[in-house]
Amino acid sequence: MSEVVKLQLIGLSVIGSGVLILLFIRATFVRVIGFVAIVLGLFTLTALSVPQMASLPPVEEKFDIATVKTPTDMATIGQKIFFSKGQCALCHTIGPSESARCPDLKGIGAKLSREFIFESLTQPQAYIYLDYRHEGVAKEYPARMPYINKNPIGLSKNEILSVIAFLQQMSGEPISVTVAELAVPGEVPAAPAKAAQSGPVAVAQAH
Amino acid sequence: MRHQGGWIQRLLQTGSDHGGTLSMLVLAAGLLSLPALAFGADATPAAPTEYRDIPYVGSRNVIWVVAQLHLLLAGFVLGVPIFAWLCEVVAWKTGEKRYDKLAKEFTKLLTSAYATTALFGGILLFLLISFYPKLMNYLTDIFFPSFIVYCLLFLVETATLYLYWYGWDTMQDGGKKKFHILLGFLLNFFAFFIMIVPNSWATFQASPVVLAEGSDIARAWAATWNPTWWPVNIHRIIANVVLGGYICGAYAGIRYLSARNTEERDHYDWMGYVGNFIGVFGLLSLPFAGYWLMREVYQYNQQMGITLMGGFLSWLFILQAMLIGVLFLGSNYYFWMGITYRIPGSEMKYRKPMLAMLIALLLCLAVWMTPHSLVASMEEARKMGGSHHPLLGVFGVMSAKMTVANLMILVTFMSFIMYWRAGKQETAGWAKVAKAIMGGILALSAIAVIVLGVWGYFVPAIIRINYFSTTQVLVVIGVMVTITPLTALLLKSAKTTTEMVWGKMPPRAGYALVLNAVMVILLMTLMGYARSSSRVHWHVYGVLRDTSPYAYSPALGSAAAIMALCTFFFCMLVAFIFWVATMGDKAKAPSASTKGELPHGMPALAGASSALDEPKARKF
Repeated sequence: MSEVVKLQLIGLSVIGSGVLILLFIRATFVRVIGFVAIVLGLFTLTALSVPQMASLPPVEEKFDIATVKTPTDMATIGQKIFFSKGQCALCHTIGPSESARCPDLKGIGAKLSREFIFESLTQPQAYIYLDYRHEGVAKEYPARMPYINKNPIGLSKNEILSVIAFLQQMSGEPISVTVAELAVPGEVPAAPAKAAQSGPVAVAQAH
Repeated sequence: MRHQGGWIQRLLQTGSDHGGTLSMLVLAAGLLSLPALAFGADATPAAPTEYRDIPYVGSRNVIWVVAQLHLLLAGFVLGVPIFAWLCEVVAWKTGEKRYDKLAKEFTKLLTSAYATTALFGGILLFLLISFYPKLMNYLTDIFFPSFIVYCLLFLVETATLYLYWYGWDTMQDGGKKKFHILLGFLLNFFAFFIMIVPNSWATFQASPVVLAEGSDIARAWAATWNPTWWPVNIHRIIANVVLGGYICGAYAGIRYLSARNTEERDHYDWMGYVGNFIGVFGLLSLPFAGYWLMREVYQYNQQMGITLMGGFLSWLFILQAMLIGVLFLGSNYYFWMGITYRIPGSEMKYRKPMLAMLIALLLCLAVWMTPHSLVASMEEARKMGGSHHPLLGVFGVMSAKMTVANLMILVTFMSFIMYWRAGKQETAGWAKVAKAIMGGILALSAIAVIVLGVWGYFVPAIIRINYFSTTQVLVVIGVMVTITPLTALLLKSAKTTTEMVWGKMPPRAGYALVLNAVMVILLMTLMGYARSSSRVHWHVYGVLRDTSPYAYSPALGSAAAIMALCTFFFCMLVAFIFWVATMGDKAKAPSASTKGELPHGMPALAGASSALDEPKARKF
């Protein structure tokens, strides 16, 4: 018996108890408790009737360079990251969709160079025009795209390169990212220094 | 890490200065939570313990329930003084003693409710230290100075509460009464700061900011002044008023249902009216504060906003719509019953407008509850051409929801105005013109809200959010601030045509009041889950990751079961507090019941003039 079914049974029992109280008990306070039980039971049953989606923490992908032999291996890892830790699919789609909030990424690997994609991921504010409508210094329009190399998403350089490999493969393009570019953990900084300095919302450092 | 060593000792040392009940309660809470420490004590002392657990129940669930109960009790304890103080001011200004009596009746609850809230706060603190030492060390390192401020605030709040309550009878006349009202103001003033200080800890977890190197106070201040701090402060203060009002209404409803004589029925019918009125008063402005909060969340981090409104929490907002919808319906229903049963002759006159308002509310609720993506089988989705229904999909977007939310507020405001004007005949020469202007304002504002809502489909989201939605909110606020004083002015010289009759409401009115209170409590538990889950797997968003086995957010169904449990526990706790606080009254009830203190009608606000507040005018 699944957890949802168990909770539904509990909810129904609570409602049933409430109905019995209202039918057979005369004491006002107990009747009010019965009424509250019915309301709470109905609320729980309603909540159980909508899609049950839990938010699981992203799996800490272990990027074992030893297992990556070809660019296709990178693309496979990139695809996993695209739909999990990277949270790309939360806003982007591959192919047209009514629910897409941000650009459709179908064919993006063919339209944009890998350098431009890398910059878009790590410096999303780079090519956004300034807002000159106000007096004084022109303001920056806030980018919708988050800084992928920073928290809360915080992809490493290897992970970003893998996502680029996936985008190129998905677009039918030859993968231009090579296995040799992958950084050995601990030796190379995760992201370009410039991107690391210009976060939209800098955060406190964990100790 | 600074302040890490011995901070608990310092905190307890600070707490020991208070003396009296609070310290005892906190110590008692500590003793109660000691077994929890033993349950999950780490066997290996070498590495610092990050988490502890409790078998079977789970540490997260325990913290969840205790934190939610503490928050609800705190909301009650902070909302009731506002409610009581307002009633005392009304009594002082109008000379109507029953408002003073009502204020005193609720202040009496505060002493026991305050102790219970402190008890749960103490339990929560010790459980957090036990189960989440990593997080608590991190927060203490940042917020240590504000912990001290919080303790000092508790000290002055406790002293003010004791003076306010125990000085009630001796400070009734002249200058003493003014001083007592000042004490009531100070009670609320300190209570406000008691609310906003811990708000800074919780909002920092959701929207942390840069902490430059500097003094402890500078760092604490920087962390306190985070982007969602003030939106949450404003949202909570209004929500506390709503909670206090509706709980007062529910209490009155239960007492009304169990009333043994006419006097009791009169009194609790009137109290139910006052509670519902204050609840609705806050409710009308609450969605605006909620909108501001969500706007700040989006501006701070779009990812978090999307997680809330479009990600795994999107269905939560359908439930929220359902609860708010039922609350609006329940509040309006109580108003309509008041018109029907308290103002004889009005039931026929207002039947058609009430029916029209009911239909409008139901239609608005239906739109609000329409999800963006429908739950459909593959076959159904194929027939629809996607997960969006070709017609209903139009109602699932924010533009439609903002529009109907504003319309529901307008309809509820109309109900309130209708109740206010029922049983009165305007005598002013300019009454016709004023009524025409008010009708015009209402109609035009409703049209403006709908036009902006429909237009919102055809403009970029940023334009809709920044200009259209804001204008909708301003239009509705404009209606309230225009029509309320105009109606008050119009009714000042009005002639009362129908006497207000109390104690004639049917039993379902009592249940409606209970339902409203349960809806508010459920809403608070639901949105508590939303706020916490929006941080996903982070203790402090993007900074301190939750690496415990409970780093996931449970699905809505499981979460709803805990919310229902919290709501039930809270209702029982409040019932217990009411029972304990009124135990003494029951013992001396026969001698205390005097005709002169009973409610004999309502002030002009409720639909009858104070001239009718004479015993002879009562009709049963």
